[in-house]
Amino acid sequence: MGKLFEWSRFFENIPKILPYLTVTFSIVFYGTIFGVLLAVFIVLIQIKKIRVLYQISKVYVSFMRGTPMLVQLMLIYYGLPAIIDPLLGTSINRDWSAVVFAYVTFILNQGAFLSVIFYSAVTSIPYGQTEAGLSVGLTYYQTFIRIILPQMIRVALPPFGSDLVGLFQGSSLVFLIGVTDIMGRAKTIGSATKHVLEAYVFDVIIYIIISLAVRLLFWYLNKRLDYTNGRRTGGKEGTPWIST
Amino acid sequence: MDFNINNFVESFIYGMKYFPNTLRLVFIPLGVGLVLGTAAALVRVYKVPVLCKILAFVITVYQGVPIIVALMIYNLIFMMKYNDFAAFLHLKGTIADVDQIWIGIFALSLTAICSISEAIRGALLSIDKGQDEAGYSVGLTKIQTIYRIILPQMIPVAIPMLTNHVVGLIKASSVVMAIGIIEIVAGATIPSSRTYSFFEGYVAAALIYWIFTVMIEYLAKILRKHTGRFRRNLYD
Repeated sequence: MGKLFEWSRFFENIPKILPYLTVTFSIVFYGTIFGVLLAVFIVLIQIKKIRVLYQISKVYVSFMRGTPMLVQLMLIYYGLPAIIDPLLGTSINRDWSAVVFAYVTFILNQGAFLSVIFYSAVTSIPYGQTEAGLSVGLTYYQTFIRIILPQMIRVALPPFGSDLVGLFQGSSLVFLIGVTDIMGRAKTIGSATKHVLEAYVFDVIIYIIISLAVRLLFWYLNKRLDYTNGRRTGGKEGTPWIST
Repeated sequence: MDFNINNFVESFIYGMKYFPNTLRLVFIPLGVGLVLGTAAALVRVYKVPVLCKILAFVITVYQGVPIIVALMIYNLIFMMKYNDFAAFLHLKGTIADVDQIWIGIFALSLTAICSISEAIRGALLSIDKGQDEAGYSVGLTKIQTIYRIILPQMIPVAIPMLTNHVVGLIKASSVVMAIGIIEIVAGATIPSSRTYSFFEGYVAAALIYWIFTVMIEYLAKILRKHTGRFRRNLYD
């Protein structure tokens, strides 16, 4: 057994791990895009208070927020085949690649988390705004697009940013169901060469860079979307992107 | 759909058997996080020179590290180096004598310190600076002002954020199964590897977590009403 950490091995690992970053990004991409769609659907149900669906959505969101990501991942991984296979006579565990289960889990999970963010953003806009829009002759739809949505995005942006940081971190769990993302690749490097620490350290650096980049991006967006020019008090307008 | 209720019940019982391990994995880091996190937040809010800059950097960077990656690294270093370390300190016993759960507690504690210090810092900043000045003007020292004036007002503000972090810790504690510590998830799937009923095992684990987190949120609601009763329903 040689030294625990060696820089030469560290640099050898970089080209081996970097291509698998696309897997991490694809999980985050699908999770966010379809998660937003699902979240909008849930928020519509909750605002319109559609009977039965409303109660179901409440239980669903509570479940997704109250159980660990790991358990949800495993539930989808073992549960989806248990539900779909007897119905369609397929064996999706063999036919689908493991990453599909990761996509499904992250879409369902993000749908619930984003719905909470969107719901509180929508309800943070006073109803008087809607009434004002309607009174000047806009339709309900126009009022939402032109009056409510721009203000809502402003409110939803900071929690959406921290959710995205969390999503990147959560995606590191998918190697537990056999998806080869950057963590999974680090493990395979470990079992091939018996030196895994360098690969893990490189993963840590990647995750830190991603998290800082996302924070910086959202800090910038937050500043750009500040229509009030800092007049609004009590907000986070003046905060630097790393708060000291 | 084949859902075997007997396997589910067996998994549920097994999961509950290892529930105390999850409690240790949640509440020891929570205690450590509350003490050290509050200290870190006070250092940053009262701008202790040098230290506040270092803490801001370390906390911001460490929040970017996923708990599972950190856990794997600590576990690896522990496995490789513990025997040397023990020999260096002339400790008796080898790696086999140490309960692995402490690696999990260590990793979760670091995460807890970072997230809790951010929550406490936010709550501290929400207290008006005039409160400090009022404290000094009646002759209280800095420590007395913090202890008697600032902290009691901060607690009801911090509780909602802290609740989120406790729930986050409960959920994060499940990843320690990746290094072989047996807690709720790993416990609930012990019978599953015999009967191959993994789905039932994970449903049981999910149910235990769900009940636990809903209970914690309910308790936090009561606690916040209790600690914030002097605030005249500002936040209720």
